Amino acid sequence: MSQIQIYFFRLLLFVFLQSFIFNQLEINATIHVMITPLYIFLLPFDRSVNSLMFISLLIGVTVDATSNTFGLHTSSLLVFAYLRPVIFRVFSPRDGYDALKTPSIFDMGNRWFISTFSILLIGHHLWFFTLEAFSFNETLLILQKTLFSSFISFVVCVILQTIFIKRTA
Amino acid sequence: MSAPKSSYFTTASFISGNLFEIRHAISQHFNLEENNQALQKENITLRKSSSLFLYNKTGVETKVNDSIYAQQYDYIPGTILNATTTKRNNFFTLDIGGIHGIKRGMGVFSSNGVVGIIHNVSDHFSVVKSVLTKNINIDVLISEVGVSGMLKWDGTNANIGSISGVSNDIAVPKGSKVITRGGSGIFPRGIDVGTIKKTETIEGEASWHIDVTFSQKYAALENVYVVKNLFLDEFKQIQNQ
Repeated sequence: MSQIQIYFFRLLLFVFLQSFIFNQLEINATIHVMITPLYIFLLPFDRSVNSLMFISLLIGVTVDATSNTFGLHTSSLLVFAYLRPVIFRVFSPRDGYDALKTPSIFDMGNRWFISTFSILLIGHHLWFFTLEAFSFNETLLILQKTLFSSFISFVVCVILQTIFIKRTA
Repeated sequence: MSAPKSSYFTTASFISGNLFEIRHAISQHFNLEENNQALQKENITLRKSSSLFLYNKTGVETKVNDSIYAQQYDYIPGTILNATTTKRNNFFTLDIGGIHGIKRGMGVFSSNGVVGIIHNVSDHFSVVKSVLTKNINIDVLISEVGVSGMLKWDGTNANIGSISGVSNDIAVPKGSKVITRGGSGIFPRGIDVGTIKKTETIEGEASWHIDVTFSQKYAALENVYVVKNLFLDEFKQIQNQ
C-alpha cells in the first residue's frame, strides 16, 4: 500500500474508533478519551500548518456530527494542529528532523514522544473542556477533566500505536 | 417539511442517524428487562386510572373525544438510539422526526420522569437536549411545599440534579417529591422529576441549594414520549398580549 492509502485508511479507522467506541465509553464524568489528536500528530513532519488544519477540520466536523458536540472537537483539533509545528520546533533534534521518519513513538523515541505529545494533548484537552463548560465557575472540574482524560487518552494513544503503527526503520 | 440546516452537523442528520440506528439494533437488548418492567408498571397504572386513556386504535397518537374533558396534550412515542450521560452536555438521539410531527422545543419524558426538550429535528430523527445539560432550566415544583424553582445540572453525577431559585425562608423537607410545574406549556403539570436529596444554604444568598435525585436512570433509558401541546399557540398568544 502506498503512503497516501495508509493515511486514508488510518483516518477512517480513527474517526470510527472515536465516534463509535471512545465517545460511547461512559466511565465517569471526568474521563473522556479522545484519540483523534494522535492522527494529526502522526502525519509526516513536512506537512504545512495549512494542510494539518484542513485535515483537522475534516476529522473534527465528522466526529462532531456523530457526537452532538457542535464544533467542540473541530475547534480543539484545530488548536492541536496549529500548535504542532510550534512544539516540534521547540523539541527539534540538533540536526533537524529526518524526512524519512514519522513522529511515532518508535521512530522518535520515548522521551521525545512523551514530551511533545503530552504538551499538545493537554493543550487540546484543556481547550476542549474549557469550551465545553464555558464558565469560570467550573474551573476545578475543567482541570480535573483535563488531568484525568489526558492521562487516559495518552495511554490509549500509546497502545494504539503499538497495535496499528508499523516501525518504518 | 424540510429540516433546518443545523441538523446536518448533529446526530439528527441522515448519515449519523442511520448509523446510530444500526448500532441501536444491537445494543437495544442490553436494558430490555428493565425497560419492559418500567413500561409494564406504567401500563398498569394507566389501565387502572383514567378513562382518558382508551384503547388506542390509530397506533401512533392518542386522541379522545370527550365533552367534559378536552385533550390538551398529544404523546408521540419514540425510542432513544444514542445517548451519553457523562459529558458536560448530553444529547439523546430519537428515531422520530419531522414527519411524525416533532418540532423544536417540545418536551420529552419517560415512564419514570422528565427527560428533556427537543433541540434539533430532521425528517426522520431528532436530538433531545436532556436534563443533563448546562442550561436546561425546566421549571419544577416541589409538590409538598408548593414552591417552584429551576432544574439545573452541575455536570458531575447523572443521577443528581439541582434546583435553584427557592427562597431559604421556606422549609423544604428531605424526600419531598419534585414534579414539573407546566408553567411554560412544554410539559404537562405533574411529570415526575425526582426526590429532594438534601438542602444547603448558599453563603451570601437568600436561596437554598437543593440536590435532587432523578427518578429516571438516564443511562438505561430506552422508551420516551414527546409532548405535543395542542393549546400551545393559544397559550403563547395570551402571554404575549
